[in-house]
Amino acid sequence: MRFLWYRDRKRQELQQELQSHLELAAGDKRSRGEPATDAESSAHREFGNIALVEQVTRDQWGTRWLEEFLQDLRYAARMLRKNPGFALIAILTLALGIGANTAIFSVVYTVLLKALPYPQADRLVMVYEDVRLPNYQNKKNEPSPGNFSDWRSQNTVFESMAAYRNRSFNLSGEGEPVRVEGELVTSGFFTTLQIKAALGRVFVPQEDRPGNSHVIVISDSLWKSRFGSDLQVLGKKILLDGENYSIVGVMPPGFRFPDPDDQLWAPMGLSPAELSNRGSHFLLVFARLKPEITLARAQAEMNLLARHFTELYPDTNTGVSVNVLSLHDDIAGPVRPALLVLAVAVGLVLLIVCANVANLLMARASVRQREMAVRLALGAGRARIARQLLTESLLLSLLGCFLGLLLAQWGIGALKLLAASNLPRTDEFTLNAPVLIFSVTLSILVGIAFGAAPALQAGRASVHETLKSGGRESSSGSRLRMRGLLVILETALGAVIVIGAGLLLRSFLQIEHVPLGFQPQGVLSFRVIPRGERYSQPSQRAAFYQQVLERLDALPSVRSAAAVSFIPLTLARGSKGFTIEGRAPTAPGQIPMAGYNIVTPGYFGTMRINLLQGRDFSWSDAPQTQPVIMINEVMAKTYWPNEDPLGQRIRQGGPDDHELPWLTITGIVADVREFDPVTAPRPTMYFPIAQFAEPAGILRDWVVRTDDDPKAIAANLRGAVWDVDKDLPVTRIRTMDEVRSMSVASPRLNLLLFGLFAALALVLATIGIYGVTAYSVAQRTREIGIRIALGARRNDVLRLVIGQGARLALIGVVLGMIGAFALTRLMASMIYGVSAVDPLTFFAVAFLLAVVALTACYIPARRAMRVDPLVALRYE
Amino acid sequence: MAQRYQNRIELLQGTLDLLILQTLQWGAQHGYGISQAIRANSGDILQVDTGSLYPALHRLERQKWISADWKLSENKQRVRVYRLTATGKKQLLSERSRWEQLSDAIAGVLSPAKREGQA
Repeated sequence: MRFLWYRDRKRQELQQELQSHLELAAGDKRSRGEPATDAESSAHREFGNIALVEQVTRDQWGTRWLEEFLQDLRYAARMLRKNPGFALIAILTLALGIGANTAIFSVVYTVLLKALPYPQADRLVMVYEDVRLPNYQNKKNEPSPGNFSDWRSQNTVFESMAAYRNRSFNLSGEGEPVRVEGELVTSGFFTTLQIKAALGRVFVPQEDRPGNSHVIVISDSLWKSRFGSDLQVLGKKILLDGENYSIVGVMPPGFRFPDPDDQLWAPMGLSPAELSNRGSHFLLVFARLKPEITLARAQAEMNLLARHFTELYPDTNTGVSVNVLSLHDDIAGPVRPALLVLAVAVGLVLLIVCANVANLLMARASVRQREMAVRLALGAGRARIARQLLTESLLLSLLGCFLGLLLAQWGIGALKLLAASNLPRTDEFTLNAPVLIFSVTLSILVGIAFGAAPALQAGRASVHETLKSGGRESSSGSRLRMRGLLVILETALGAVIVIGAGLLLRSFLQIEHVPLGFQPQGVLSFRVIPRGERYSQPSQRAAFYQQVLERLDALPSVRSAAAVSFIPLTLARGSKGFTIEGRAPTAPGQIPMAGYNIVTPGYFGTMRINLLQGRDFSWSDAPQTQPVIMINEVMAKTYWPNEDPLGQRIRQGGPDDHELPWLTITGIVADVREFDPVTAPRPTMYFPIAQFAEPAGILRDWVVRTDDDPKAIAANLRGAVWDVDKDLPVTRIRTMDEVRSMSVASPRLNLLLFGLFAALALVLATIGIYGVTAYSVAQRTREIGIRIALGARRNDVLRLVIGQGARLALIGVVLGMIGAFALTRLMASMIYGVSAVDPLTFFAVAFLLAVVALTACYIPARRAMRVDPLVALRYE
Repeated sequence: MAQRYQNRIELLQGTLDLLILQTLQWGAQHGYGISQAIRANSGDILQVDTGSLYPALHRLERQKWISADWKLSENKQRVRVYRLTATGKKQLLSERSRWEQLSDAIAGVLSPAKREGQA
């Protein structure tokens, strides 16, 4: 705006300057005796063309391009105002395309590109065990404490290394008890991340020892919510799992490593004995590379170390190598394929938008052909006209971008909610500078892309032909051909996206029909974890479960209740090695492994997990009675293929763990989908809680089967638990249907997004086909009139018009199917139970698109059919 | 009049800048005054076209070699007056020496014998 004002003033000044020149010249001539009138006119004559002098002088200001640009912009704005319908459709389509791309890019940027919020985050790596055994493979196996402490003390490639494990705490004391998620961390946890406390301090190494470890560091949000941002919070004692911990530090806002839910951190305090344990694998280990060390170099050294440990400890370390993975890849890797596929899909949608807007512009260009010809005839340069048309399309795309950003803002908000459980770093999704730059750059490219075709055509138009042909449009043949190509492109791209959506839909239906092995309907689950001194003995815990279950059973409409380590369809799982009685000892590293769950009696009945053979547990399976165990069907078939497992005995651990008791198999139950519906069941053991004496024998999840709506009894649960212990928080109250639904959140989100893109693509392709057909009908009104006058039947006309549109759509669909055939294999990791080139999906989509295309052609075709030959021939 | 146009010499590219800077060396002047001064000092041979003069003035102003102000002339007329800036003075010196080199060189080419004789 300032520029405009400044420019106008400068122009005025130039005019005044030239005027003064004329007056001075005329004055000189008068003073030399010329008559006043002659003096003035001869001064004018000598001066030359004032307007031209003005123009060439202004050119020296170096602002000409800007002037012309503003002129073009004003003109473009005027053109849009004159065609509000066109402008609205174009801007709206662009806004949808650009908005969707911006929202997806903000996710792609945050998850795949943006650095993690730690100093020199690219130096941080995760260190996993890479296990390759005949019966067990895992590239991201959780390291044992023994391996961790050996790696830490013997490597030369890491500046520092630390470990953590997730742990939730019952926070009681003032107010209602709550459970907070936290981490047990080794010394070096915060220094490896290079993050300092905002208030107080982080842990000192001496605190990572048994007996010293009752100190905690809390998150900024817990500090605000529970302690009212009290600056005197340091040194304050709080009750966690019934034990006193004193607060030594508060972390800065936004610090949430490794989990967004984490509210506090406590020292792990492993004893020297625990630190040499190589049998249990429960740590997550990360490290910071030394400045000059590359990832490959670190990996090579860790491989050497791993080989050394395999020789030293063949029983535990055979087949165990090390996997060093950048922290960023560790977080982004699992979601990268799906995000890239989504980015490609949304990019294809944008291409369709481009084709559609180009199509609209072409239709308008034919209307404006005369205008362009007149301007060319009056001396406008072709380049200048092309530039002006480009300005118009850029204005459109930037308006689309602006509206698109509003849509993206809303879309990002929706994605944050929808993706919270299946994408990392959702709290960082936002319209930040890189995303804005991406969006604006994209809009400019889009503007150039869809503006190019009409601009090129304007440059090619023949002045003579156009003006000669009067109001009628010439060169419509080439334009129609170009628009036909755009329609083919739109249909083809649309087919690719709709096929993608179709595959995800088929896959999702497959997932929904996977037999889960239990009946989720009518079951409510919740979490109560008895921890602390009151529950340090297994018998104390067993008593607690029994008492709470008695109270739950007594609730109205409750059929049965039970507790378990982890309910199905959640990700937390443990596994154990075991030995079968009477079998030859296994080679090192080949000990059979099985997942395990600890359950109370009644668990299988409550979940309706079928008992295939033998008997269920009962409360009479106690510490003093015969030790028993139940297994699932896969385990029975894997380890006793030709025998009856009932009555056989197994033992935890390897052949040398003689101190552990033999357990008699008393029952076989059906397989249950443990992690999610698509992961095949693995061999699983079930331990009765009363006989499971290890400290890990803590049941977390509770299930209650009711006759009514399970939600109805939610309010009574707390009463039943608090009747036994009022310091225990009751959390995660969800129906098993909700749990099931959450376990498929990720495929559902993929399906939802793809479905949206596919719907958008279909609508745009329909508009495109309709537009071209309608345009061609309008063009051929005269021809159709003549045909009818010569005796063509209405049906022939209908066939003529529909045939034309259908041909374009058919070519598009065929090309789209070929494209989809090449592209859908990228989706292999996103689909389950369906081939990436599933013929049913391909043909169903082809059929759908054919129907849509025919419908889009039918409306203009009917108009053509009704053409009155008399009117048509008088037309123009 | 016809006579005058025949005598007119097209200015070499870039020499107009030199002439303007040189003219302003003697004091601030408006556009018309500059054109009159060049004409008078060249014995009516150099006629500066307004279509060259004003673009040149505005270009030199943009290069900060001259600056412009609105002033009142002797007969109370508002005129835009140009003056040489400090960088303009430096530019004038270098343009002058370049011009002298050029004219010596051309003179040498036109009468080579004289040059050899001197050598």
